[in-house]
Amino acid sequence: MTAQLGHFTLVLALLVTLYGAVAFLVGSRRRLPPLLASAERSVLVSFGLVTLALLVMEYALVTSDFSIRYVANVSTKASPIRYKIAGLWGNLEGSILLWEWLQVLFIALVVFRFRRRPHPLAPHALGVLMGISAFFLVLLAAVTNPFQQHAPVPPDGRGLNPLLEVTDMLVHPLLLYHGYVGFSVPFAFAFAALLTGRLENEWLTLTRRWTVLAWLFLTAGILYGGWWSYRTLGWGGYWAWDPVENASFMPWLTGTAFLHSVMIQEKRGMLKVWNLVLITLTFALVIFGTFLTRSGILSSVHAFAEGPVGIFFLAFLATVVLGTLGLLLWRAEQLRVPGELDSLVSRESAFLLNNLLLVAFCFTVFLGTIFPLLAEAVRGVKVSVGAPFFNYVNVPIGLALLFLMGVGPVIPWRRASWASLRRNVVGPTATAALATALLMVAGVRGFFPVLGFVLPAFVGATVVMEFGRGMRARRRLQGEGWGTAFRGLVERNRRRYGGLIVHLGVVLLTIGIVGSSTYKLEREAALAPGESFQVGRYTVRFDGLEGAEAPTHFRVWGAFTVSTDGRPGRVLKPAQRFYQGYDSPFASVDARYGLREDLYLILASFARDGSQATVKALVNPLISWIWLGGVVILVGALTALWPGRREEKP
Amino acid sequence: MRRRSMVSLLAGGAILLAFLPGGAGAVPEEEVHHIAMELRCPVCQNLSVGDSPSEMAKEMRGLIRERLERGETREEVLAYFVSKYGEWILLSPRASGFNLLVWILPLAAVLAGAVGIFVVVRRWNSRAKARAGAEAHRFPDPASLERVRRELEATEGGPPA
Repeated sequence: MTAQLGHFTLVLALLVTLYGAVAFLVGSRRRLPPLLASAERSVLVSFGLVTLALLVMEYALVTSDFSIRYVANVSTKASPIRYKIAGLWGNLEGSILLWEWLQVLFIALVVFRFRRRPHPLAPHALGVLMGISAFFLVLLAAVTNPFQQHAPVPPDGRGLNPLLEVTDMLVHPLLLYHGYVGFSVPFAFAFAALLTGRLENEWLTLTRRWTVLAWLFLTAGILYGGWWSYRTLGWGGYWAWDPVENASFMPWLTGTAFLHSVMIQEKRGMLKVWNLVLITLTFALVIFGTFLTRSGILSSVHAFAEGPVGIFFLAFLATVVLGTLGLLLWRAEQLRVPGELDSLVSRESAFLLNNLLLVAFCFTVFLGTIFPLLAEAVRGVKVSVGAPFFNYVNVPIGLALLFLMGVGPVIPWRRASWASLRRNVVGPTATAALATALLMVAGVRGFFPVLGFVLPAFVGATVVMEFGRGMRARRRLQGEGWGTAFRGLVERNRRRYGGLIVHLGVVLLTIGIVGSSTYKLEREAALAPGESFQVGRYTVRFDGLEGAEAPTHFRVWGAFTVSTDGRPGRVLKPAQRFYQGYDSPFASVDARYGLREDLYLILASFARDGSQATVKALVNPLISWIWLGGVVILVGALTALWPGRREEKP
Repeated sequence: MRRRSMVSLLAGGAILLAFLPGGAGAVPEEEVHHIAMELRCPVCQNLSVGDSPSEMAKEMRGLIRERLERGETREEVLAYFVSKYGEWILLSPRASGFNLLVWILPLAAVLAGAVGIFVVVRRWNSRAKARAGAEAHRFPDPASLERVRRELEATEGGPPA
């Protein structure tokens, strides 16, 4: 009964959404206000129906209705209620349902936003968005019905993969999906601009904040994923260049390029085609990533079931890409803007290089991710493309980007005079030189580690100087205190200063990445109770093993007393979790986190009688700076996003 | 009983070995780690032998150490694993044959993009200069105007209608 209700609701939502898409497009083309009004109502109806389907699914999950195959796949009777709820995004069908719900939510928000301030582009964009929504509903109604029943009804479900039964499961996927879905809004407006021929900057300015919002969610999702991986996967790293990680990173790269290149169009009216291409690429990469990871053609930590969905995603992807290309060709005359640039050294050039590097970065990730498929198709040989390749190729690109991040914001638009360049770059260069000297004294050697610390110092100095210059001017002119001057400065141009704060976050993050990857210490030892070993400045003593039954698993942990520089400190308890139905145990790490370094313990194996435990200890210097930088990035993005007095003006 | 004591003796020996300072045949742990980071852990999802906490990866690290101690070079150790598992075991594909593509294409893309940007920026720049030039001469001086008029008359046809 529940299953039929859920499925019927989805079919109904599909019909309503199809009607809405057509009504929006016809209504705006033929200028029929009543039809448009009815189309808007169809959005609300569709939102209501999809919400109902979502609630039905959650009801089935919470009440453990195992007659629905999906529920049996992702939960057990004994699962804590929060993981029953999170089961919604624990596997393929449910996550598409969640995705679709977010999609309709965003469409409803767009309707709401443009009801108060209508704009001729909005109905077309809404038509496009309803088309996207219809695609997901076709999947749900006809291809991967989440309400599929099966017989016989099993007495208990299989449950989530134990790796997913952690609190992070309640956060990370939701953030990412918000980001993915969010990029559909600027894409839809770009597509609408092409459809209608309103190709000025409207579509950019109307969706600017939607884009930043999507970027914010995607960034937060990616960073949170790294944090999750670091704290719970038990291998001591945060990023493995896994295909699914890459799938989320590719749209991030093009989205970031887009956020920068739109500024050239806004200021100078150039790069119109490029911006349309970039946002289409970003949206297409979101779909492509889903195709890659949901079609089962690549193996990955995150990959779900195989099935016929792959081909549907591919067809949708082709529609998006070919549709945009066709429209671009059709509008080619109108899009031709003769560009002009007074000097080769200018903000414009810096942005172009920034775009080149970000897109090249994305291309590398793309190539590396699909290369195993290519190699197998062409040579019939399986090859791997993993972390060493990605690091080797991308680190130089990343460092070049960092350099631009320092120079770009201080080069003026149009033409940079040598005098102004000198004035803006002397301070940061001196800082970089000082940093180099300090690093040499501290014993840092090697081209990449030195560059990896000096460039952040350079960028950090430009950001600080930019803020300092603005604040000093305000203090001089308006006699404000430092605090007021800071607030006033940021409020006057949230976008610029928010962006600079984001850059500062990237600086901290880079320091974390360089520090932890260059100076990581690793030691593994088998210890009897009472024995200890040394790693870095820590002595780790094994005190003994303990075990206990938890609701879903059996847990064994070792107690290790850690002394730092001889001073006794905390007891760390890395553990292994044993689940029924899984051959190998799952690690639960324990760590002593700090700004200087983390001491990270993994219980690798143990003797059943408690006479011995093998423990792996990692010292990860500066790794906390990654998360710290992440927080600063989010603060910066929020600053840019926050509604200010200036932006309230139409 | 005897077997048990043998096992514990062996285990004790292994622990002792692990703590023993490097002898003549010992290889630095970094070298082992360096090679392990290049190899895919066969039983994991996308983790290197260096990172993986699995039993399999541990054995493979032992194998690397053993082979290095026997005097094999890094290349020989990697070649051994390739012969055993196939190319798939290497986390960065060898830069030869078809695999060259994955190494060369990113570089080619950056270079092509850089050239493209340079060409575009130069064109924009010359257009800006041309316009600045045109604006500077928007009002031609009377002497030139007079000369143009005379030359037009000299061609008899006069200015086209």
